[in-house]
Amino acid sequence: MQSASTGVRGVKLFNEYSSMRAAWCRFAPLGFLGASLGLAACAGKGTGLDANGRPLGSGGGVGGAITADFQSIQDNVFTPVCTVCHAGAGAPQGLRLDAANSFNLLVNVPSTEVPSLVRIRPGDPDNSYLIQKIEGHASVGAQMPFGGPPLAADVIAAIRQWVSDGAQPATAQAAPAVFKVLSTAPATDDLLIGSLPQVMLAFNQEVDAASVDQQSLRLERVAATGEAGSSELVLAKLSLPAPNPHALLLTPLSPLQPGHYRVLAHTAPGLELADINSRPLTLNSSGVGDDPVILEFDVAGDQ
Amino acid sequence: MRVKVAMALSAVAVWLCATQTARAEPYLAVQGGYECSTCHVNPTGGGLRNDFGLVYAQNVLPAQTIGGPDAVWGGKLTEFLRLGGDLRANWTRNEAPKSPSQQKFALDQVRLYGQISMIRDRLSLYVDEQVAPNSAQNLEAYVRYSDPAHGWYVKGGKFYLPFGWRLQDQTAFVREVTGISMTTPDQGVELGYETLRWSAQVAVTNGAANAQSGSGHQVTGQVVFVQPRWRVGLAASQTQADAGNRRVAGVFAGLRTGPIVWLGEADLVSDEGYPEGKRKLGSLLGEADWNLAKGHNLKLTAEYYEPDRNVGEDQQTRWSLLYEYTPIQFLELRAGYRRYRGIPQNDAQNRRLTFIELHGYF
Repeated sequence: MQSASTGVRGVKLFNEYSSMRAAWCRFAPLGFLGASLGLAACAGKGTGLDANGRPLGSGGGVGGAITADFQSIQDNVFTPVCTVCHAGAGAPQGLRLDAANSFNLLVNVPSTEVPSLVRIRPGDPDNSYLIQKIEGHASVGAQMPFGGPPLAADVIAAIRQWVSDGAQPATAQAAPAVFKVLSTAPATDDLLIGSLPQVMLAFNQEVDAASVDQQSLRLERVAATGEAGSSELVLAKLSLPAPNPHALLLTPLSPLQPGHYRVLAHTAPGLELADINSRPLTLNSSGVGDDPVILEFDVAGDQ
Repeated sequence: MRVKVAMALSAVAVWLCATQTARAEPYLAVQGGYECSTCHVNPTGGGLRNDFGLVYAQNVLPAQTIGGPDAVWGGKLTEFLRLGGDLRANWTRNEAPKSPSQQKFALDQVRLYGQISMIRDRLSLYVDEQVAPNSAQNLEAYVRYSDPAHGWYVKGGKFYLPFGWRLQDQTAFVREVTGISMTTPDQGVELGYETLRWSAQVAVTNGAANAQSGSGHQVTGQVVFVQPRWRVGLAASQTQADAGNRRVAGVFAGLRTGPIVWLGEADLVSDEGYPEGKRKLGSLLGEADWNLAKGHNLKLTAEYYEPDRNVGEDQQTRWSLLYEYTPIQFLELRAGYRRYRGIPQNDAQNRRLTFIELHGYF
């Protein structure tokens, strides 16, 4: 009797298992589809990053139209396109094309795939292996960029011209003499629809964290014509993003109302922002009283 | 004799059909619960197919097998020499924001494989040579000594490194981020262990960063536990180089549920070779392969790439939807669409790729 009961229970368990398995087989694809949709939504928004996905002000190139000079080629091709693979200690063929290494690993350096050719032979683009690789007629291997669309004809022409001109390095850049703002997000005179989560300022040098306090910078809303008062202070938190000491974030504590806004720097001794070399921030813009304006923008209401 | 061979192959094929066993790609191996070496000469997969792989390619993989017993290809020119090959030609269309679309026909690759068995089941020499387009390029060339009684082998020369899923798509994030794929063979020695349920390899090679010069090296290894319906593997790699040290760790797994095979891989990379110092990267792969009917496969992949864990909002994703059709033996047609998504500032990270591929193999 007991064994019959056990048998019935076993059959029930088996049926439950079978139905669970059938359900799993039915719904697993839907689950995968849902997870995949979620994953696809995970692409970065790029906030505070340059076109290469690096923090603003961290030394990445600014892009723009390509010209036949090394810095432009680095900023438009090597950094944004090639370093997807050719970077770090796992770079294919040991060829690192980040800004710090590319020139030294390209010009007059033998190719590892075809050692009889150098990667860049100054003055001779036809016998430069890099040119052959990007044009797709190298004797070995696939056209570069691997797995992506070929470089545009004008881009290849600029690289060819740079090689023909002698493959000169980038003009040596002297250490910046002053500490200044490189870029801002939003940009000056931007008109923003809706509120703004934070304002970011990028500098040409690392910011001295000790010089940052809640009075170093201030965000003001300028009164519109007809409103009482000239301007009002907007409460905002000032912070240094940990991975990028070249940047400062101003995060309003409440959503910004429509209006005209400006970010001002304090210049009073002891309150001024400074870089890691203790140089105070240099600003050429006109100011409000003694404090120069770094940035002005407008916020419009949601349509 | 030929008829006997054909009958034997057909019998094996019928058995394969009846038991829904392995094919020649990672998802196919999971479908049958087999190791890579079931279908390939190379224990870590890819390249030259063995007797089992060729029987499968002719009888199970295609929607229809044409030709009679005389049309059977066994892969062996002599008792000691085996040949194989792959040809891939495609049409691609690339679209990126703010750029004109590009499209073209191209011969992607023609590869020939050869194996000479100097001592049957013991000592062999293997070559994988890309012969087109452009000049010949050697991708693998090694000598392998095996001890089949105990499952051990050792090979030396140039070979692909054992790490994670050996995917057909070499541009998958998990392959690009780890830097270990079938486009990045390395030179050194590999020690392997193969049993019915376990597969393990460890390789000591130069390392990509030491291609130019340097005194560093790379150690790469993986261990895989294989079950009839699922498998799981762990992989790791460490490179010492003047450019900086690099460590990679990964976990990968596969599961079969009815007609669908699921593959997954997650990899983490710590790389000291960047100008600013150490950078930590990560990537994920999820793949579903739905065997719609004999000769028809629908593949969906979702991928995620974290270029720098210390930088926010820089992640990239990639979606692929592919249809793979094998109308007759040794011929495959693939059509697919890939959607890249990344930061809006970078057009290349938001491109779309449409392609049709013709794949012939033997």
